[in-house]
Amino acid sequence: MTERRFTQDHEWVELSGDTATVGISNFAQDQLGDIVSIEFPEINSKFKQKDAMAIVDSVKASSDIYCPMDGTIIEVNEKLQDHPELINKFPYDQGWILKLKVSNITQFENLMTQQQYEKFVGEIKE
Amino acid sequence: MKLIFEYEQQPTEHLEQIQTQLDLPIELVRDSLPLPNVNETDIVRHYTNLSKKNFGIDNNLYPLGSCTMKYNPKVSEELARLKGFTSIHPRSPTEYSQGSLEVIWELQEALKEITGMDDVSLQPAAGSQCELLGIMIAKRHFENKNEKRTKVIIPDSSHGTNPASVAMCKLETITVSSDSRGNMDFNEVKKRISPDVALVMVTNPNTLGLYEENLLEIKDLAHQNGTLMYCDGANMNALLGISRPKEQGFDMMHLNLHKTFATPHGGGGPGAGALAVRSFLSDYLPVPRITKKDNVFKLDYKKEKSVGKVHSFYGNFGILVRALCYIRIWGNQIRRVSENAVLNANYLFVKIRDHYHVPYDRRCAHEFVVSAKNIPNGGTIDIAKRILDYGFHPPTVYFPLIVEEALMIEPTETESKETLDRYAEVLVKIASELREKPEIVKEAPHTNPSRLDEVKAARQPNLRWSPQ
Amino acid sequence: MNYIPHTKEDVTQMLKEIGVSSIDELIGNFKPHITSPLKLPEPMNEMQLVSYFSELSGKNKIFKYFVGGGAYDHYSPAVVDHLIKRGEFMTAYTPYQPEASQGMLQAMYEFQSFICLLTGMDVSNASLYDGASALAEAVLLSSSYTKKRLVFVDNGLNPNYYEVLKTYCEGADLEFTNIIDENTCCVISQNPDFYGNIKDLRPLVEKAHHNKALFITCINEPTSLALLKPPGEYGSDIVVGEGQSFGIPLSFGGPYLGFLAVKNFLLKKIPGRIVGMTEDKNGKKGFVLTLQAREQYIRRERATSNITTNQALLALAATIYLATVGRKGLVDVAKNSYYKAHLLYEKLQKVGFKALNEKYFYNEFCVKTPKTASKIFSQLLEQNIVGGLVVDDEKMIVCCTEKNSTADINSYQEALK
Repeated sequence: MTERRFTQDHEWVELSGDTATVGISNFAQDQLGDIVSIEFPEINSKFKQKDAMAIVDSVKASSDIYCPMDGTIIEVNEKLQDHPELINKFPYDQGWILKLKVSNITQFENLMTQQQYEKFVGEIKE
Repeated sequence: MKLIFEYEQQPTEHLEQIQTQLDLPIELVRDSLPLPNVNETDIVRHYTNLSKKNFGIDNNLYPLGSCTMKYNPKVSEELARLKGFTSIHPRSPTEYSQGSLEVIWELQEALKEITGMDDVSLQPAAGSQCELLGIMIAKRHFENKNEKRTKVIIPDSSHGTNPASVAMCKLETITVSSDSRGNMDFNEVKKRISPDVALVMVTNPNTLGLYEENLLEIKDLAHQNGTLMYCDGANMNALLGISRPKEQGFDMMHLNLHKTFATPHGGGGPGAGALAVRSFLSDYLPVPRITKKDNVFKLDYKKEKSVGKVHSFYGNFGILVRALCYIRIWGNQIRRVSENAVLNANYLFVKIRDHYHVPYDRRCAHEFVVSAKNIPNGGTIDIAKRILDYGFHPPTVYFPLIVEEALMIEPTETESKETLDRYAEVLVKIASELREKPEIVKEAPHTNPSRLDEVKAARQPNLRWSPQ
Repeated sequence: MNYIPHTKEDVTQMLKEIGVSSIDELIGNFKPHITSPLKLPEPMNEMQLVSYFSELSGKNKIFKYFVGGGAYDHYSPAVVDHLIKRGEFMTAYTPYQPEASQGMLQAMYEFQSFICLLTGMDVSNASLYDGASALAEAVLLSSSYTKKRLVFVDNGLNPNYYEVLKTYCEGADLEFTNIIDENTCCVISQNPDFYGNIKDLRPLVEKAHHNKALFITCINEPTSLALLKPPGEYGSDIVVGEGQSFGIPLSFGGPYLGFLAVKNFLLKKIPGRIVGMTEDKNGKKGFVLTLQAREQYIRRERATSNITTNQALLALAATIYLATVGRKGLVDVAKNSYYKAHLLYEKLQKVGFKALNEKYFYNEFCVKTPKTASKIFSQLLEQNIVGGLVVDDEKMIVCCTEKNSTADINSYQEALK
């Protein structure tokens, strides 16, 4: 598994071969508040980078999750249907959202590293 | 807290008992009916006690922005309950329902005069149904001109129904930002207008409570481009007898009769919507249309160009009676309603503006938006809950979305200076409470039950009673 | 007469504090201005209003109604109107601040429960505009869930409902089909249908499910649910209908009360407001609007529906009606309506009418008239009776409720001899 990288929309990606595991960052889950449900894309559906591919609902808000790298959905974390709070409690771990088979691995290089992302979030908070 | 299902008594009987055999096979008949039986005394107590746990305009000031929570005249309730109105079956022959048809006709005429538009439909049950119709009418209009237009421009301050209605018609929303004065940004509209844009949907005054200063330029731009202008008339309470949406440049608009025209909100409904259009769009209005000839009213279903029907009959007739009553109460003096609505909003605004953050430094219309972002130790939600402790209803919170920690306040014209002074005192007091002893605000409201766990409600839905 | 409390002194003081010399300064930029007063009549005081509206309502004639077709003349106990007139209910807004709205929220929870109990479904919302728009919303829901666009409508759907459905479908780019296959998103059947027939829908439900389409039962006369098998028990995925029969006046067609109930798997897709029970931090039970992220003010363009206002006060009226008549009373209403309809059916067959119903009916039935239907209708009108719904030259649909007395039924028959 590679290191974790981040998008400007607060998704994280971990790559294993051409399989990308995707979730949302701790900052994102904190901003959203308690998550109550998630709407997954269909398995085998294709998305391009930055397409809206899933929706996460908290009590008072609804947020799109954007595709971090071009690819095809191969798996979704069904456990989140009954336990959406896993995204809040363990955003990087049990709260993973879906897996993509990526078609353009080079896009990973252009995502933010952990350090770059932390700086990015720091600037937002100001 | 007892649910009505937890009673089991001898019910009060209301009709003759008939012994009859049902000649129906067993597979079509139900086994049991798990409803309660309750005697009338306990029915009245149960619901009377529930009403005491509820808050309406009849209790105190209820200044929800864009909802226009004005006093609901009781005479309207009496008149709407006349048997000659309530006991008419919609399938009764129209020759014998002339009174009802005249009510609808007169209301249409009055709303034409108020809006400046050429034609009105009173069939929609709410403002959002009007929006749906309006977008369908625009689609039809362009189809007939062999133009395919798939986009609708809306401001970022728009009410959520606007983009939802657009989506229901399978069109695309283009959201345009507001400028530093809170107006729809003319330059942004200019960038996004194209022959692909069917409509520009504008609320005026907008949800920030501000009169759209770029309206005429946006209208010119739209019309040069063949794009239609739709007015979300939720804020009409600022404009009665002062300015007319037709003259502001709109081709279509809707009115919410349960807002501007004082029909009661009923805890969430029923309301009624009026869709008003310029003559070139008349033929698209829903059927049946009411016609008047030689003082006889008829229902006309033969309108080939109509977009169809949105209500099973003619609309929320009972609400239309109340709206007509309100208009007859005011008559040609209706301007005083809006003048005083604007006066009250501006007065309340100046009384609290030094204590809250003001996002747009402009005189407001009939409502205004302030922000709680400059107040430490708490947010808008805490302020809203603490207002309940003082016996008032909070304003609209967290809307419009473009203002952080927003409080949207619309007192309406039916509030006295004294009530406004008291509300201002409360708002100022709470701001200082947050500075000095925030816990009392964070723990508000001090009611029973207090702040309810909305996360639990959504994650573990309990949406109905079930028999054991 | 007006509802503005300000005295001249109040206004002067207020303008001073705002820092303007007149109200005109406040509205100065609302351009373009109307230059003369609106062409509306002079204001009316209460006495004049009573006179004006009494005259208007007096131009209507109230008949003995033997007609249904989507609106039913049932008796509403006095208690219903008495309670909904309470200002705390009537003048409240949508319960967005739950601590100030526990009354209405609990009543809506009870309404949702009543609908589920009657229809045999898992979850109901807190009402929609009317039965026709509820049907349209159910179809939009089905299309969104199945991701298909073809809609199958069984024979016997109320034509007004069909028209409304057509309008919504056209807007949403959905189409009607006359076959049920793998492209069908939903199958709709009204039960009892427009002609009054009570149908065994199990075969149709099976066909729908076999093709992965959702089955929608549509109900115009919900008092029928006191006697008939609940649609949830024969496989309906969605039940929609009109609640006007539950204590809501005829009122020339509105305001009425749409309801929509689903099986659990469709919970996240249900349109409109829903009330849920929860607790505060001390474990005290209470009610809130919930699952709000489905709705337009949060989802905006991603919402499946744009609905905002519901029919809350009428849902309250229906709840009070159902509680007041109770299990016993609702069965009485239904049996009474059934009995009267079957009595009239027999009597009409003795004066030359031919039965057209397939087999079983509840309180509406269809007959072939011995003379042209419009002639029969006029004859009855002279006796102060609206005898039914004229479908064509020789067909009428007739309805009875508990309000049609045996004397009225005899008058009906007498008028035709």
